[in-house]
Amino acid sequence: MADPTAEFFSRIEEHGPDLLPAKARGRLRFDLDRDGEVEHWFVAVNQGNVLVSREKREADCVVATEKELFDKLATGEAQVLAAYNRNDLTVRGNLPLLLVFRRAFPSPPGTRDPRERIRERFAGRRVAGERERRP
Amino acid sequence: MNDLVSILDGNTFMLSDSTGDVEPSPNYPSGLFAWDTRFLSRWVLTINGERLHELSIDDLQYFECRFFLVPGEPTHYVDAKTSVIRQRSLAGAFEEELTVLNHRDEPVVLTLRMEIDSDFADVFDARESRSLPGRTAKLVEPGRLRLCHERHRHVAETIVTSSEPAEIDADGLTFRIELGAHGRWSTTLRAIGTIQGAGGRDVRENLRGYQEAWPEKRRELREWLDQAPKLTCDSETLDDAYQRSLVDLAALQYIGLTSQVKLMATGLPWYMTLFGRHSLVTGFQTLPFIPQIARSALWVLALLQGGRVDDFRDEEPGKIMHEIRYGEPGGFGDSPYTTYYGAADCTPLFVVLLDEYERWTGDAETVRLLEYEARSALAWIDTYGNLMDDGYVWYERRSPSGLENQGWKDSWNSVTYADGRLPGNPRATCELQGYAYDAKVRGARLARTFWNDPAYADRLEQEAADLRDRFNRDFWIADQGYYALALDAEGGQVDALASNMGHLLWSGIVDDSRAEQVAEVLLDRHLFSGWGIRTLARDQAFYNPVGYHTGAIWPSDNSLIALGLRRYGFAEQAARLAVAMVEASGYFGGRMPEAFAGYDRRRTKYPVQYPRACSPHCSSAGTTLVLLRTLLGLRPHQDHLTIDPAIPERLGRIELVGIPGRWGRTDAFGRGRVHLEPE
Repeated sequence: MADPTAEFFSRIEEHGPDLLPAKARGRLRFDLDRDGEVEHWFVAVNQGNVLVSREKREADCVVATEKELFDKLATGEAQVLAAYNRNDLTVRGNLPLLLVFRRAFPSPPGTRDPRERIRERFAGRRVAGERERRP
Repeated sequence: MNDLVSILDGNTFMLSDSTGDVEPSPNYPSGLFAWDTRFLSRWVLTINGERLHELSIDDLQYFECRFFLVPGEPTHYVDAKTSVIRQRSLAGAFEEELTVLNHRDEPVVLTLRMEIDSDFADVFDARESRSLPGRTAKLVEPGRLRLCHERHRHVAETIVTSSEPAEIDADGLTFRIELGAHGRWSTTLRAIGTIQGAGGRDVRENLRGYQEAWPEKRRELREWLDQAPKLTCDSETLDDAYQRSLVDLAALQYIGLTSQVKLMATGLPWYMTLFGRHSLVTGFQTLPFIPQIARSALWVLALLQGGRVDDFRDEEPGKIMHEIRYGEPGGFGDSPYTTYYGAADCTPLFVVLLDEYERWTGDAETVRLLEYEARSALAWIDTYGNLMDDGYVWYERRSPSGLENQGWKDSWNSVTYADGRLPGNPRATCELQGYAYDAKVRGARLARTFWNDPAYADRLEQEAADLRDRFNRDFWIADQGYYALALDAEGGQVDALASNMGHLLWSGIVDDSRAEQVAEVLLDRHLFSGWGIRTLARDQAFYNPVGYHTGAIWPSDNSLIALGLRRYGFAEQAARLAVAMVEASGYFGGRMPEAFAGYDRRRTKYPVQYPRACSPHCSSAGTTLVLLRTLLGLRPHQDHLTIDPAIPERLGRIELVGIPGRWGRTDAFGRGRVHLEPE
C-alpha cells in the first residue's frame, strides 16, 4: 500500500545531502495524527545527512499535523508554510529548522521545469546571437 | 494620506483619522493591523453621542501619539466645556488612555462611548469591506469584549478590556461618568490581537524570541540611535532627514514568526511585511551606519530561499523571495503571497549584498556560513533565471495571481516600448543583467577569498566578462545613445527611456566609453525633474507624473543611481542628485515617502505627493543614508575607509562621527566645495 509519508522519509534519508545545506543540523519530530492515533517520525539532520526513525524522541522542532495533510506535503501537493499559516500544522521549538528542512519537500505533482516550457514555446523561433532590432 | 495619523511598531500599526477614530475607508486601510490582519476596523469615540474634533496632535514617538479633542464639529464655534485627551501606544498590545476633563465650575454627568468592531480583513481587502469566508462572532464576556473570526482551524481574535468598569455590549464599551467641577476622569483601553496556534495560544508565543515589553521600547530606540554614527552638518534639512531616517528604520523592525532575527517591514500601510528586494536594498543602503540590518536581511532571506519549483508561488530552487505575508488568505491558497518568489532581482542582489556586507564589516564568518545559499543563488542566475538559455536573466510569471513584472518596477505597465506598446513575455530588463554581472564579480571574490574555490572564481569572472560584452552589444541603442529598458522574447530592444539605466552604473556593467553619455541622459530634463530622476522619461508614451513606475520619482531608485554616478567618477552629478533629494526631503518633514510625483521642479516649486505612497518606507529611509555616503564619498578599501567628499556649496559642512566597520569606528568630514547652478 502506498504511503507517501513513508516514501518521503525514505527518500530524504537517501538523498538528504543533495537537498539540504551541509551546515544543516538539528532534530525534528513529526507527530502525525490519523484518527486519534499519532505516529512519530524522528529526523536527525547532521551536515545534510538525514537519519529517520519511528521514535518519539526529544527534538529541537516538533511539528504536529494530520497524517492526511502530511501525505500531501510529502507528494508536494500542499505547502508547509501555508498549512502553518492556516493553523493546520503547528510547530513547537525551532521553526528555522523546519524552514531549512522545507527544501526537502518535492514540487507539486505534474510540475514541469519552466525552462522546458519556454524551449517548447520558442522552438525554432529564435536563434541565439541573431537579434532583430526593432525600429 | 494627509490628515491620517499612524503609530507603528514593526509590522503592527494603527492608522486613524486625525481625531483618532477608525472607520472603514475606501481610500486607505484604516484600523489596527498586525501580521497583515486587521484587528480593529471600527474604533470611534463619542461623548453624549457626539463625535469629537481635534485641537492638536502630538507625535510622541513612532509607537505613541496623543490627541487633544473637544466635542462638536469643527464647522461651528465650539465652546468646549469638556475636553478629551486620547493617548495611544503600540508595544505588543494597543493601548489607549482616555482622559476626560470637565472645564465647568460645576459637576457634570457624561456618557462616553467607544464603538468597536473588527472584520479581520487582510490588508489588501481592508478598503473594500469584503467579508471573509468563515464565521465571525462578537462575545460579551465579564470585563471584556471578544471579537473572533474562525475559518477551519484558523482563529483570529481581538480582545478589548478597560481599566475602569464599562458597560459592554457587542458593539462597544460605554462609560457613564460623573465629573466634579474642573474634575478629571480616565481609563485605559487595551486591545490585543491574537492568531491561535498550538493549544489555542497565540502562535507567536510558541516560538522562542517572541516578547514585547512596553517599557523596553524607549530604551531600545535610545540604544539604536546611540549606535548610529553622529551627524553634524550645516544643513538643517539634511540633519532632520538623517534623524527621521534612523527612527523610521528602528520603527520598521519586527520579529517575524519564522525567524529570531529582526526583519524589516517595508512600508506603511500597504507593505508592513518583509520584501526581499527592499530588505536587501535597505541593507545595502545602511551598511556604513547600521550593518546589522544587512546581516539580518541576509540571514532571513537565506532561510527562506526557494527550495523547489512551485508555479503557484513562482518559486524555484535558489531563488530569493519576493515577500512574505501572514494574513489568512495565503493559508487557504487564495493568494500565493504567504511566501511568494516572483522577483528576478532579489537573487543576484542577495550575492551583491553578501559581498558588500563583508567589505564593510569584515564578518567573514557570515560569508562562510552562507556559502551554500550564495552558491545556490549564483546557480539560479545560470539556470532558472536564464530562462531563454542565452545567458541573460529573464522572467515570466507562472502564478495566476503573481506579478506581471518581476524587477523592482513590478507594476503591469512599467516595461514598455517608447511608443507605449507592451512587450510579450518573457522579459529581460536591463538592470537585472547589471545585478547578475555584479553578483558574478562579487561571487568570484567570495569564492576566492572565503570559499577556497579559485576555479569557481575564475569561471564566474569569465562569465561576468562575457555577460558585460554581450550586454553592451545587445542592449545599447546606438542611435539614441542609451541602454534599452529590456529585451523582448524575440531579442528586440524594448526602447523606453527609464531610470533602470542608472542601476547599470551602480552595478558596473556600463562600458567605460559610454558612462558619460549615460550620466548625461540621466540628468537631462526628460528624466531629471529637478527633485530626482523619474522612473520614466517625460517624452515617453506611458509617462505620467503620478504613474507609480511610469513617471513618479522613487528615492530608493535615486539612491542607487547616486552610488552609480560616484562609482564611475561623476562626483558633481552625484552631488547634484543628492542635494535635490535632500531638498525634496525637507518638504516631507525629513521623511521621504516611497515615491513622489514626477512634475518638473520649475513648474511646481515643491515635490508633489504621490497619492497612495507608503510612508515611512524602509528603502526611502535608507536613501538619506546613501546620500550621506555619496556626498562624503565613503568607500571601504581593504581595512580602512576612504573618504572623498563632493559636497555642494549650499549644503556646507558635513561631519559624520563613528562610522562602524572593519576598522572599528572612524570619522568623515567634508566641506561644500562643489558649485552647482540652482535647479
